[in-house]
Amino acid sequence: MEFFLEINTEEMPSAHIQSGVSQLQDKMKEVLDSGSIPFSQMKGYGTCRRLVVVGNFAPEQKERVEDIIGPPRAAAFDEDGEARPAAVGFAKKHGLSVDKLVVLKTDKGEYVGARKIIKGAPTEDILKESLPRIISSLSFPKMMRWGESLLKFSRPIKNILCLFGEKPFFFRVGEISSSDFTTGHKIFSPTKVKAANFSEYRNTLADLHVIVDPEKRKRMILKHAENRLRSLGAQIYSDDELLDKLSYDVESPYVILGSFPEDYLKLPLEVLSTAMKEVQNLFSVVKGKKQLPYFIGVADVPDDSKSLIQEGNERVLKARLADARFFWEQDLKIRLRNRADSLDRVIYQEKLGSYNDKAQRLKKIGVYLASKLEAKGEKKSLGEAADLCKADLLTEMVREFPTLQGKVGGLYAKEEGYASGVWKAIYEHYQPVSMDDAVPASFNGALLSIADKLDSIVGAVGIGMEVSGSKDPFGLRRNAQGICKIVLEKKIDIDFSRLLDKVIAVYGEACKQNKGDIKKRCFAFFRGRLRHIFETLGFRYDLVNAALGPGIDNIYYIYLRLKALDSLKESAHFEPMILIAKRVNNILRDQPQKYKINSDLLFEKAERELHTTFTIIRENALEMIARGDFTKAQRMLFRIRSPINSFFDTVLVMVDDKRLKRNRIALLQAISKLLNEIADYSQIVISD
Amino acid sequence: MTIQTLIMNLQKFWADQGCYLAQSYDLEVGAGTMTPDTFFRVLDKRPWRVAYVQPSRRPTDGRFGLNPHRVQKHFQYQVIMKPSPSNIQDLYLKSLTSLGINLEDHDLRFDEDNWESPTIGAWGVGWQVLLDGLEITQFTYFQQAGGIDTFPVPVEITYGLERLEMFLEEKDSLYDLKWSEDVTYGDLRLVEESEFSEYNFNQADVKLLRKSFDMNIQEGQKMIDKDLLLPAYDICLKCSHLFNLLDSRGAISVTERVKMIAQIRILVNQVAEKYTSREGSN
Repeated sequence: MEFFLEINTEEMPSAHIQSGVSQLQDKMKEVLDSGSIPFSQMKGYGTCRRLVVVGNFAPEQKERVEDIIGPPRAAAFDEDGEARPAAVGFAKKHGLSVDKLVVLKTDKGEYVGARKIIKGAPTEDILKESLPRIISSLSFPKMMRWGESLLKFSRPIKNILCLFGEKPFFFRVGEISSSDFTTGHKIFSPTKVKAANFSEYRNTLADLHVIVDPEKRKRMILKHAENRLRSLGAQIYSDDELLDKLSYDVESPYVILGSFPEDYLKLPLEVLSTAMKEVQNLFSVVKGKKQLPYFIGVADVPDDSKSLIQEGNERVLKARLADARFFWEQDLKIRLRNRADSLDRVIYQEKLGSYNDKAQRLKKIGVYLASKLEAKGEKKSLGEAADLCKADLLTEMVREFPTLQGKVGGLYAKEEGYASGVWKAIYEHYQPVSMDDAVPASFNGALLSIADKLDSIVGAVGIGMEVSGSKDPFGLRRNAQGICKIVLEKKIDIDFSRLLDKVIAVYGEACKQNKGDIKKRCFAFFRGRLRHIFETLGFRYDLVNAALGPGIDNIYYIYLRLKALDSLKESAHFEPMILIAKRVNNILRDQPQKYKINSDLLFEKAERELHTTFTIIRENALEMIARGDFTKAQRMLFRIRSPINSFFDTVLVMVDDKRLKRNRIALLQAISKLLNEIADYSQIVISD
Repeated sequence: MTIQTLIMNLQKFWADQGCYLAQSYDLEVGAGTMTPDTFFRVLDKRPWRVAYVQPSRRPTDGRFGLNPHRVQKHFQYQVIMKPSPSNIQDLYLKSLTSLGINLEDHDLRFDEDNWESPTIGAWGVGWQVLLDGLEITQFTYFQQAGGIDTFPVPVEITYGLERLEMFLEEKDSLYDLKWSEDVTYGDLRLVEESEFSEYNFNQADVKLLRKSFDMNIQEGQKMIDKDLLLPAYDICLKCSHLFNLLDSRGAISVTERVKMIAQIRILVNQVAEKYTSREGSN
């Protein structure tokens, strides 16, 4: 039987709709599964005013068989199979004749039992009880109340339509009763209509200017945009985020093409496209890589026959572009250098001071990074970029379009004639703003971005801010992932522990209290983020743990370690190596004390050979590790297999002679230490 | 349609919905939300319907009368309905129709925009209303005020009168708008914008402003201690405007900013708490 539910609301944000529809489906499935109600073809749809779920549900729960255990078989029947009183009594108690009793085999032997077939409850009963709970338990990032309703939801619920088996299905959620109707488009057909099933509902609403399927709306937008732009030979500047939002924001997509005065094309593309996208939600139009003085907008209307919507949007956009040009020209009148001097009036964080304080820290961290990475970064230009990178927070342009921060500063620096090492670093220093965003193209940009993000993380940890669950007020997770992404893609080889020390030291007073603790928490935080990134990249979790084992000394090296483990995981030497490492670890587990090797005490042939081979391996491997060539280093380590096996075969470690015992432990400790330089092998899982 | 007929239409429309038509509050405020007719009345449990024009001052938005879209003082039309009626969106659409806007010729959108004012411990959920891409209204269901959950839930509708008029007249500069048939917005306000921008940005006496701020903070606390909550709240509004002026003079350092906002918030929260406990039994 078809089940159909529509929750009609005031306009919900697109993210809420998508999450609401999938929560509804998940919760329905859970109820059906736990109630043993077979179902198929569950699907969800949504618009800014509707959450819709449809599915095919069985009319009732599955029959259940329940066995009630009675007396033991021997007590119930005699040798001839005649019923004894125990069987007769048991059968009577359950309303059965003796011949309907069954034999049940249990661990304790054979028993006589009564088998009952329990008919399932009607699905309606289950739905009636669970639907109110399901609807009131949907959760959204920001929830609200309205009127005098105690219910919390994404936006006020206007109506609930529910059908089961082509009949209206009535229930109550809070003060809302489900009904047998829905309404068409809010402005163009606000009439109540009834429908007997989903396909009728979908067709009726299509006549009333509502397309229920978001995928269909998305296709319509793209198709219509393409048609509009055909004669120009142009395309929309692809923006999935905007397309996604618009496909949910409208029930009746209608694509408009508008234009703006060509003169505004003198503004930078970044400024133009942001002015178009923000508030008005307009797509930029491009021909190849060239921006054209047109825009594509999506309205929630059947048509724009009088062109009023197009003209209205053109007027609004023209005003916004005029503003943007005004800001651009005004902003350029004050040099970034002078703006930067006023940054002490802009608060970064209450306890962490102003943006001027932050810029001064970034300068120190940036210069440190540049000097550690030698010729690659230019100390002077990086220092200059750090000094100026936050100055655009005081520009009119960023005040108007906050998402342009950084980019605008970079563009102004370029206009002012700063070298590319300076302006590009400023331009790129917020990148990547998400895991899908590109990392800075310039090396200076990469270093300044790392400095900025690490400064934010250390500061936040320093004042005791916690990142937990969905709470991440400072975007610390995004910052940490951004740093990792840059380090991996830009192959930035830097001692992370020292870098953290530097950042903490630069903070001075603000992070003075608990340096060790801050560092520990930063390490733990980065460990979590790295694990997340590596697992997203598809690495095996145990290899990730093994690569993270030696500690977060150098993020790039962790990645190299992991790649080495990954590339060697199929090698015939790999598993034996892990077994060796585990065996060494087992022996050393109860040895808290560290000992030194005394080569004069190596009496047995096998231990002398092991020691000699190990010394050579170590010498070579350490040099490879220092270079970051973990694949080679690991291959080198594989060579210890045969000497260490013969050592285990012929030499007893735990001998009575303490001096000998300690010396052998010392040898294994040295080996273990070297292994740990590469990975924590004990974390690796060996498949049987 | 002129601005004054626009106002008259809205007055008539919302009066018909049972709103009491308040007169504009006689202190400098940043938004219609800040006047006592909204601030206090959303806190208590009693039903409330009010509508009024509120001149709103934001000194840093001044542009010396040179920018056609931005002014240091603009006019809001503020509507509060508590509890929010279930047909409030329909009422709002009707109010637009009553202005002669044929909604079937245009693209009207409720676009997510949640409102928050940490200074008065308030936030709400709602939209900015876009008419052919132009923001004409802020539409908010208040969830908290003075750090207290609002219940019944009030809905606030704030029309930007200049924006709406620009839409109706299809003008590119707000100074060209007609206030009446004979008087333009520019006639009335251009000199004011230019002089106040000069005052706000360049001339206001920082020492005097600072001293007034400090004295008003003290006075506010005194009035709270005497349970004179309405005067105390007026004093908070004065402090808020003095703070905005100091800000536009570029006279506030980081530490001061944090401290001054906190000073105002502490007073406002006390007023809200005392008011709700006084009104709690109603």
